[in-house]
This record gives sequence, structure tokens and C-alpha cells, in this order.
Amino acid sequence: MALLTAITVLASSLLLVQGQSPRTSEYQLKAVFLFNFAQFVDWPPSAAQDSQPPQPPQPPLLIGILGDDPFGSFLDETVRGERVGARPIQVRRYRRIADIEECNILFISRSENERVPDILSVFKNRAVLTVSDADDFASQGGIIEFFTDKSRIRLRINLDAADAAKLTISSKLLRVAEVVRTPRR
Amino acid sequence: MNSRSHPTSLLLLAVALTIAASPAQAQQRDSLQALKRLTLDQLMNIEVTSVSRRAERLAQTASAIQVITQEDIRQSGATSLPEALRLAANLQVAQVDSRQWAISARGFNGTTANKLLVLIDGRTIYTPLFSGVFWDAQDVVLSDIDRIEVISGPGATLWGANAVNGVINVITKEAKDTPGLALVGGGGTELQGFGTARYGGTLGPRTNYRIYGTGVARDRTLLPNGQGAPDDWHIGQGGFRIDWDASASNRLTLQGDLYDGRSNQLRPGDVTLSGKNVIAKWAHTISANSDVGAQMYYDRTHRDIPGTFGEDLDIYDVDLQQRALLARHDVVWGVGYRLINDRVANSPGLAFLPPHVARQWFTAFVQDELALVAERLHVTLGTKIEHNDYTGFEIQPSGRLNWTLSPSSTGWAAISRAVRTPSRIDRELFVPAQPPYFLAGGPNFHSEEELAYEVGFRRQNGPWLLSLATFYSHYHGLRSLEQKNPPNPSPLVIGNGQDGESYGTELAATYRLSDRWRLRGGYTELRVHVWPNPGSTDTSRGATESHTPDRQLFLYSSLDMPAHLRLDGMFRYLSEIANQQLPGYAELNARFTWQPVAALDLSIVGQNLLHNRHAEFGTPTARRLIQRGVYGMAQWHF
Repeated sequence: MALLTAITVLASSLLLVQGQSPRTSEYQLKAVFLFNFAQFVDWPPSAAQDSQPPQPPQPPLLIGILGDDPFGSFLDETVRGERVGARPIQVRRYRRIADIEECNILFISRSENERVPDILSVFKNRAVLTVSDADDFASQGGIIEFFTDKSRIRLRINLDAADAAKLTISSKLLRVAEVVRTPRR
Repeated sequence: MNSRSHPTSLLLLAVALTIAASPAQAQQRDSLQALKRLTLDQLMNIEVTSVSRRAERLAQTASAIQVITQEDIRQSGATSLPEALRLAANLQVAQVDSRQWAISARGFNGTTANKLLVLIDGRTIYTPLFSGVFWDAQDVVLSDIDRIEVISGPGATLWGANAVNGVINVITKEAKDTPGLALVGGGGTELQGFGTARYGGTLGPRTNYRIYGTGVARDRTLLPNGQGAPDDWHIGQGGFRIDWDASASNRLTLQGDLYDGRSNQLRPGDVTLSGKNVIAKWAHTISANSDVGAQMYYDRTHRDIPGTFGEDLDIYDVDLQQRALLARHDVVWGVGYRLINDRVANSPGLAFLPPHVARQWFTAFVQDELALVAERLHVTLGTKIEHNDYTGFEIQPSGRLNWTLSPSSTGWAAISRAVRTPSRIDRELFVPAQPPYFLAGGPNFHSEEELAYEVGFRRQNGPWLLSLATFYSHYHGLRSLEQKNPPNPSPLVIGNGQDGESYGTELAATYRLSDRWRLRGGYTELRVHVWPNPGSTDTSRGATESHTPDRQLFLYSSLDMPAHLRLDGMFRYLSEIANQQLPGYAELNARFTWQPVAALDLSIVGQNLLHNRHAEFGTPTARRLIQRGVYGMAQWHF
């Protein structure tokens, strides 16, 4: 009798399942974070055209990946069909700094770990949200650093760097992040 | 007996597997949409650690895991770790007397239950005396617990020889999460008085610490005739934790505890226990795809039960593990070493011979999670290899299949082999202390073996969290009492003359009706059968090995009311324990809380409200009656 009950419960609960899809990996989660950053950060009008005249086609919000792409297809799938205000989101991949045009969010892969100071010096004071999971990224002057703490993804935000880039970061994002300042040298 | 039950269980497995394997189309958009709907807070909080000793989302772990959160513990009004464990529907929890508890998963419960592994912040707390836990010596500060992960079923591949039927992993908060001064105090009828003081601060920009002291006094329980059992009990404990984030890729933790407790007993002289432990941990990130962790600890316990036995035990333990992501593989491996030095003071009534032993364990494990279908179907193969002084090498492999149906739903199946290696009580216990013996040790006792088949499903979606596990386990060589020279009834020796099986279903669900009202429920059906093998003279049919109700149900409601009031209620029902003639019982705990300001929390808690007195464990003459209790409590946080 108990087993019958068990089978019934098991069967009915399995039938609750509707959608099927991939399991969450570290970079799937980080891709969703990047998508969230696009919502919680305001770019100055020069870089992100004011969303006031909403009519004709808006320039896309560009997310760049510099170095080896750890996301696979996750990032593309995450932003496909999404908009920030009226702006569609596009993903670009770059091997070299020189290739990078106007992008709004730049994810710097860990493959560029050694070159982080050089890369940041190029984007300093430009309205680009630099993001990376490279070691000590935020304290080196990057804006948002992913780090892992007790198996959870955490954020470290360098507010000085964000101010220099004239980016406004929503308090909702700041609240869940650890805020650091650029060490004075 | 075993042939009777196998077909049913196999049918159950077959049905479950068939349903689990039914075709379904991948709809990646759905999963991403679900992830994208999560708030930032939720995104930052979706990992758990213990099943693979590494990060994994709860909804995707291939095992019967249930998590008790800090919120659950606080709202339940639990005042001890065993009471908090009642919140896990996949555990069997019974209060034996004022300080002793019988806690197990998947049956085989008893005061010396020996198939469950319990860890507090990575420190194994089982005693090598009987492979079980002395629950009276585990006075964790409940408000400092981050969560308790309870895994029913074998966890031996990663966790070791005691994890035959389950693992309880108590994880306390990091020091940075317990800042400032917190005071808790109260008292009442059964729980006569308790208090905790904790302070957390910083020792530098990247170093946080906390220190705490706690104490509790509990009233006696009742003898079956209604008279007071002399088991009033008090214990005090203090400790610290320091977390040092040395750099982005290095993290060090040092923590320790010190405790001392005393209880009355029927015999002359008080039961005393004391102990101390210290653990150091290092976590290092090698690269994005690899990390390594090391820990070492020292644990000392002293216990004196006048007229029965005394024990001084030192445990030294070192563990190292590494995780590496390699293309489609996710590999975890580790090695460990453990040394115990155990000195027992024997009494005329019973003796551990030899009284003083030093024993060591070497362990190594490796596990590979392979993505058969990327992000959807994963197979995890692993094994633990252990060497112990009693039986030499033991191999405990397991295979798990993890099918991600959606980001919120997972189906899983597992086959595991686990062993329960001998402890001192199996090999070295003599009754009385001098010949002629009634019980003359267990010179030939070897490991008990288990082969477990499990199938489960978990769904975590919006307000719902649903977890279901069904299992069938076969045990070979369970502990038995054998006539040494049949047909002479004595002496007896401990042997491996019994086989057994257990099967059942564990269901747990949480539902948030609203931000203010949350319901939690659990239901477990469990059958344990034990029988003697041919040639065995044991006729107990498991009456000395397993004392477990066939079914248990719990319902827990947590309601946040206006005017800073809240009401929590927890109902539990357990069916009879047949081989102890212990009737089934239903009980209710309730907690009423008033939080006039954010920093102050006043509550009144009623425990076991439905009956004046009830018993949860023990044969008719040996059991103790637990009385209804009421206590008041105040919590301040500065």
C-alpha cells in the first residue's frame, strides 16, 4: 500500500515537469549576471544614446568578450531577443584590444589575466563597464569583479572606477556587492 | 523474507526509471527565462556544497538532500541541534532522555546508531567507540548556523566509511556574517535556563572573528512509572572562529570549541563530559578551473559514566582535496589520514579490551562527473578506497546519473556500495569485565556491506520546492550476536550473521503562500527487515539493530502577522516502533514571537503540547517520558 502510494506520488510529481533545459554552470550564471548588469547600470548619453527619442532604430547595447570565450553559447542565448529600454543587446568577441570598437560592457576573460593592467589603462575614463573574474580585478581598477565565495558567485565593485567611467550603478546592484575603492599609490 | 520484498522494490525502481526516462524536448529558452527572472539576491544564493564536496545547485544534486536553513531553525524554536534536525523529513529523530537522542536516516536507529556520518564545519563528530554520535556533546550555537544539509542514502564515496545511510553536514556562518554583539536568554519548565553571548568583529581589513559562550540546563525526564528520572543535565560551551581572506585566491579559517557538561544518573556519581577541538582550513584557487582545499583538526573528548565506563579520546585528522574542470569532466579527488588514541576506563560490568588503542585510517577518493549530454545529462562515477586497522582495504564505489529537466527540476538515480567498518564496540566489548564472559567481543567481526539503489526527483520553482526520493538497500553481514559454542547460550560473540533490506520513500515540500506565510511538510515511509543467515544463531530479527517507525509525517507553518507578531507551528506524527512496543505518537510545538524593534525578539515556545508526557524511544521498562514544556526567550542583536 505504501509502495503504491509512493509510486503514485512519484509519477504525479514527475508529471509536473514541463520545461526541459540545460543545467546551470558557472558561466551560464555569469552570463545572466552580465545581462543583469545591462539593466542595473546607466551609461552617460554619449555612449548610450538617450532613450528619450524612442522612435527610429536604437543603437544596440554591445557586450564584448576579450580573450578566450568561456561562455560558449550561454551569453548569446541569454541576451537573444532582449532589450535594454528600446536597445537590443549584441555580443561581440575580440582577440586584441585594438579590435574593440565602441562597446558598453567588456568582459575580460581570465586568459588575459596577465594583461589586465594594460587593458584597464586603455579603458580608463571611457564609458565602458569592465567586468572580469581575473584575480584582484576590482582593486586593479576594473569596475566589476566576479569572485567565488563558498561556492557562490559574488561581486566586487570598484566605485572609483565606475565614477571615472561616468557610469551610474543602481543601488540594487551595489547592495548585493562588496564595494571597494582604487588603492591610492 | 528477502525474496518476498525484492520484486516490489524492483518494480518501484522500474516504474520510476521508466517515467524518468520518458522523452522530453529540450527547451533552453524556458530555463534561461527562469534564471533571468531571479533577483540578484537569488542569483547569488544558488549553490550548495556537500553532495559532491563542491558547488552544485540544490535542485541539481543527484542525491536525497534536504536543507535546513537558519530561518527554519530560528522560527522552529529549536534549542538544540537534535531538535533542529527534526526539520529534516528524511531523518528519524527520537529523544531518549534529557540529554540522549537516537538519530538516523533510512532506519537502523538506536542510541548507538552507526550508519550516519555527522560533520560540523568539516569536523567528523562520530565516536570510533561505536561509529555513532554522542549528541549531548554537540552544543552548537543554533543562531550561528548558516544551514544544515541532510543527505539520506549512501555518501560513502566522498565522505567515508560512516556514511552508509546518510550524511548530516552542519555549516556555521562565516565570521563576517555574525558582526556585533548578540545575546540570547530564557528559561521555562523543561528547558530550565539557557543563554548565549556572541561577539563578532574584525582583526584587520580582511580578517573577521567571532567569539561565543553558551550554556543550557534541562530538567529531568520521567521514569515509566511517572517518577522523576535523575537525569537533569547542564552543559556550557565556548569557542571562536577566525576567517582570513589572505588574498583573492587564498582563504584561511581557524575555529575551535571548548565544553563541559554534567548530568545525574540512576547510579551513584554524575555523568560528566568535556572536550575541546580546533580546526584549521585553507582554501586556494589555482585557476578558474581548479581549486584545492586542505584541513586539519584535533578533537579531544572526555566522558565519565561512573559505574559503567569512562573514555578519553584524541582524534587527529588531515584532509586534502582538489577539484579540476577539464573539458567535459569535473574531477574531485582527495586523500585523508586519521589517527585516534582511545583510552577507556572499564567497570566490573563491561570492558573494552584492550582498554587503550591507537588506530589509523588512510583514505583516498576520486570522482568524475562527466557531461554525457552537455548541461543536461551527467554521469558521476567515483570510488573511495580506505584502509583501516580492522579490515584492511575497503572499496566504496558509486555511480550517479543526473538528468537536468529544467533549471528548476532534476531527476536522478544512483547505485552505491557502502560499508560500515568495525568500531571498538563490535570487536572489543566484553560483558562482564572478567571471565566467564556473557559477551566475549567480536574477534571476527568484519564490515557490514550495503548496496543501495536510489531514484529521486527535485523541483525548485517559484514558491515551490519539492523533493522526492525512493530507495532500496540490501545489507549483508549486519551485526549479530552469535553463540560461541552452540548450543550453549553463552558466551555470545559479535558476528556478521544477519542480512537485511530497507526500502521506502521520502517526500519533502516547501510552499511559500506569500511573503508572510510559508508551509513545509515531510512524509517518509520506511520498511526495514533483518533476518539471520543460515548458520547464524541470532534470532533477534534486527531487534538490537534497528528501532524505526514505519512512517512519519511533519507539517510546519510559519506565519508572519501584522504588528510585528509571528506564529510558528510544527506538528509531527511518528508511527509505532514495533520491536520496542513503543506506541506511535503525534506532537505539536508552537512559537509565538513579538519583535517590537528590529534588534529585539521576544518569544514564548510550547514544546510537545498535545500530551502531558510521551515516550519517543525505548522498551517499556527502559524508556523515559518526555514532558510538555514551555519556555520564554529573548534575543537582542546590537
